[in-house]
Amino acid sequence: MPSDVQPVSPDAVPAKPFAVRKARTRFFGLTFDECIRVFFGGNAFVAVIVLALITFFLFREGSAFFGQNRESLRVYRQAGLEYIDIIRQQEADHTALTRYLFAIRMKVVATLREERGAVIQADLEAAKNAVQQLAGAEGGATSTTLVSARARLAEAQKADAALGASINGELAVFDTFAERYSDTVLPVRGLVSDLGEIATGIKSRYIENEDYKVARSQFIQAGKQGEADAIQLREIDFKTEVAAITGILPAYQQINGEFTAALQETVRELPVLPVASLQPRLDRFKVLTQDYVAMFPGIEARLKAWDPLTPVTWSKSFSSFIFGREWLTASFWQDWYGVVPLFVGSLVISLIALIIAVPLGVCAAIYINQVAGPREQKLVKPAIEFISAIPSVVLGFFGIAVLGQTLRALSQFESLSWIPGFPYSERLNALTAGVLLALIAVPTIFTLAEDAINNVPRAFKEASFALGASRLQTIVRIVVPAALSGIVSAVLLGLGRVMGETMVVLLCAGNRIAIPDFTAGLAVAVQPVHTMTGIIAQEMGEVARGGIHYRALFVVGLVLFFIALLLNYLAQKIVRKYRISVG
Amino acid sequence: MSTPAHPFASRPTAGRKFENATFWFFRVATYIILLAGLAVFGDIILKGSSTVFGAFKSTEHFPYVTNTFLSEAPETLYVFEDGGVKREMGDTEYRAYRESRIASALAAGEPAPQFKSESYVYSAGGIWPCIVGTVLLVVGSMAIALTLGVASAIFLSEYAKDGAFVRFVRLAILNLAGVPSIVFGLFGFGMFVIFFDWNVSLLAGWFTLAFMVLPVVITASEEALKAVPQGFREGSLALGATKWQTIRSNVLPYALPGILTSSILGIARVAGETAPIMFTAAYVVRDKLPWDVEKVSDFFFQGVMALPYHIYVVSSKIPQNEYTSRVQYGTAFVFLGIVALIALASILLRNNLRGRYKW
Repeated sequence: MPSDVQPVSPDAVPAKPFAVRKARTRFFGLTFDECIRVFFGGNAFVAVIVLALITFFLFREGSAFFGQNRESLRVYRQAGLEYIDIIRQQEADHTALTRYLFAIRMKVVATLREERGAVIQADLEAAKNAVQQLAGAEGGATSTTLVSARARLAEAQKADAALGASINGELAVFDTFAERYSDTVLPVRGLVSDLGEIATGIKSRYIENEDYKVARSQFIQAGKQGEADAIQLREIDFKTEVAAITGILPAYQQINGEFTAALQETVRELPVLPVASLQPRLDRFKVLTQDYVAMFPGIEARLKAWDPLTPVTWSKSFSSFIFGREWLTASFWQDWYGVVPLFVGSLVISLIALIIAVPLGVCAAIYINQVAGPREQKLVKPAIEFISAIPSVVLGFFGIAVLGQTLRALSQFESLSWIPGFPYSERLNALTAGVLLALIAVPTIFTLAEDAINNVPRAFKEASFALGASRLQTIVRIVVPAALSGIVSAVLLGLGRVMGETMVVLLCAGNRIAIPDFTAGLAVAVQPVHTMTGIIAQEMGEVARGGIHYRALFVVGLVLFFIALLLNYLAQKIVRKYRISVG
Repeated sequence: MSTPAHPFASRPTAGRKFENATFWFFRVATYIILLAGLAVFGDIILKGSSTVFGAFKSTEHFPYVTNTFLSEAPETLYVFEDGGVKREMGDTEYRAYRESRIASALAAGEPAPQFKSESYVYSAGGIWPCIVGTVLLVVGSMAIALTLGVASAIFLSEYAKDGAFVRFVRLAILNLAGVPSIVFGLFGFGMFVIFFDWNVSLLAGWFTLAFMVLPVVITASEEALKAVPQGFREGSLALGATKWQTIRSNVLPYALPGILTSSILGIARVAGETAPIMFTAAYVVRDKLPWDVEKVSDFFFQGVMALPYHIYVVSSKIPQNEYTSRVQYGTAFVFLGIVALIALASILLRNNLRGRYKW
């Protein structure tokens, strides 16, 4: 076939067609094989896309939070709530001092009872037990013994009551002192509650007006000008409104002066406690009160310098989330979205879980890989992997139904009371959740650590044996150090697993949103906490879409996401950096 | 002084004793883990099996036996006293009973009996809709995850040459594996439920769960593909087959059992997770069964009840007592049974497969 492109050969012999003809169908300039390659490559790219989408959507829903939070803080400031909170803090500090007094009283009563009432207490217990036993064994006990036991119980109770009365009588001076002390704050408290009403009034009127504005703009968008005009907007002039609050400064100063005088007057003469050893505490209380009074000029200065129109900065909005110590929603006063209590809760639970899971997981990994025989290995390894298949919600249910009670009952044993925090009464707390999470983390840590130990070259072990080391020495000095990077990364991945776990903590952690009280020492483990994952799962279903609370939950999700990425990154980095080279 | 049994037996020196003690310590740690796992299983199986196995009833038509717990929808349980007898009934039964009693009392000319009942939601009936929902969720999401995951694994194992793109993809997969499930839930809620406006639906749940197990499926599939000897590929290529022909005829058939078995582990994960479906696919209660829809497209845009979410609801939203614990333990038992069977199958098949394929 003649063509102007193809040069015709001089002999003009027609070229033989190829035996194998490749039909190169092309799509967009790609051969069939290349298309398939692109298809598979595209699928692999999905992982990247999903990761990007997660980031994008978390940011998309969450990023508006900081603007809304800033707005909320602005209203908080401009409506004068912030101003009142300064005074309120003063009141709260006073309450804390009163509580300190009360704690002293409790201690005194406890010591006195121990000193004088040990016999009475024992009598009372014995009589109670006797009555209970007799009443329980109805048929066996004759009624006369029961009656006499009851009489003894009544006697013991009477003696107990008399002891209580005598202790109270000795504490009468202290009680009047405490009462006088706690009454000193009343004028300040009255002022705060009066001001609070004004400020919440301003805030609610402002919010109402904003709602009207939204409604109006919606009417205008819908083309209903008439309805839009019917809505009357009442702009709030914060400056004049707040003047009603800031105007009380002279009155406050006067009240404060009286308050100071009353406090000093009260603590001038301390009552004498019936327990001499506790007297230093009362002296300490005096010092605390003087410190407290010394803060007053500072408070007044802050009030004077306070200006409702100071703009709220972005960093303030940001830091009130990251460093905010309160997560308080649906409050009449002011909503706070501080992630610290949730983060600390997650951390406490994770630490408890790791403290239990790391020794167990690593020991089991060493045992299975180095010590156990092949048959034991074959049985135990799948069994531990199998544990990881227990769904977390089932574990959570187990915690609610069984473990919570069991641990609490365990804590009430007399012989275990040396453990910090024991006995406790909250069934659902960080410990319950931590123990269950340990069961979730163990298979992860075990599998990865076992892998790491398995990857230690045989030659290392053989060399160690050849030098005469025992098995234990080889394991401790050679195998484990060689696998250490893998073990550490296993622990980090286990931590990631635990931090991200939702259902167990939602069901078993007790869900109290507060920073746990670390002054309790190790007993912090038995306090109920709330977690980042738990709060999302609990509140997401109940919040209004697009609201500040909704956005705050997305930001918490974002924090979780980045924590997970960070842990993952660290785990990989450690493995790569400290990987042993065999050469 | 006792002599050892034979001259080469090791003497119990202090060091050896210490070694043995340490090994025993390790052994105890290992068995503590197993015991803890066993305790959870044992408790739920012991207390839950009676609910399930006690719910068999004979029926009048084929197959003449039914299990009310597995085949009915959840109902409110009423506990009341009538004629000195304490009775427990589900909602429908209770209403019928009350009406018949009142009617009979009126016919006899007596005042209508008063019923003082305590009610416990979800504590009667069964969990059939939850089982259906879970199965639907698992099937749909695994279909998506397997398609995406196997294709990705083929690319990574067969086509990819080490480069920036592949490293990037691997990094993404690794990181995706560590993302907490609740974050997937949030993401699914933000993207599918709100942005795509699918509402709380099967479709949203499918994609959320599929993305969540994607790393598991990819890793498992890649491992299976890598296990096929290189010679199979080279032989095929040497005979003039194209890359795709090689993969199709000489790689995939041998890798497929491995891919499927390892992916079962993904199924266990999908079935067991609660957090991702909480806001994307699960309803607390739904009267209709999923196939009870007007249009076919409605099928995909409906929420379903699911076993894990049901466990969450019955264990946190209703009080713990003798009447509610039956349904709590029963649901947990059925769910744990399903998930454990899947996981067991996966582990056993994998061990079996490792022994069988030796090239």
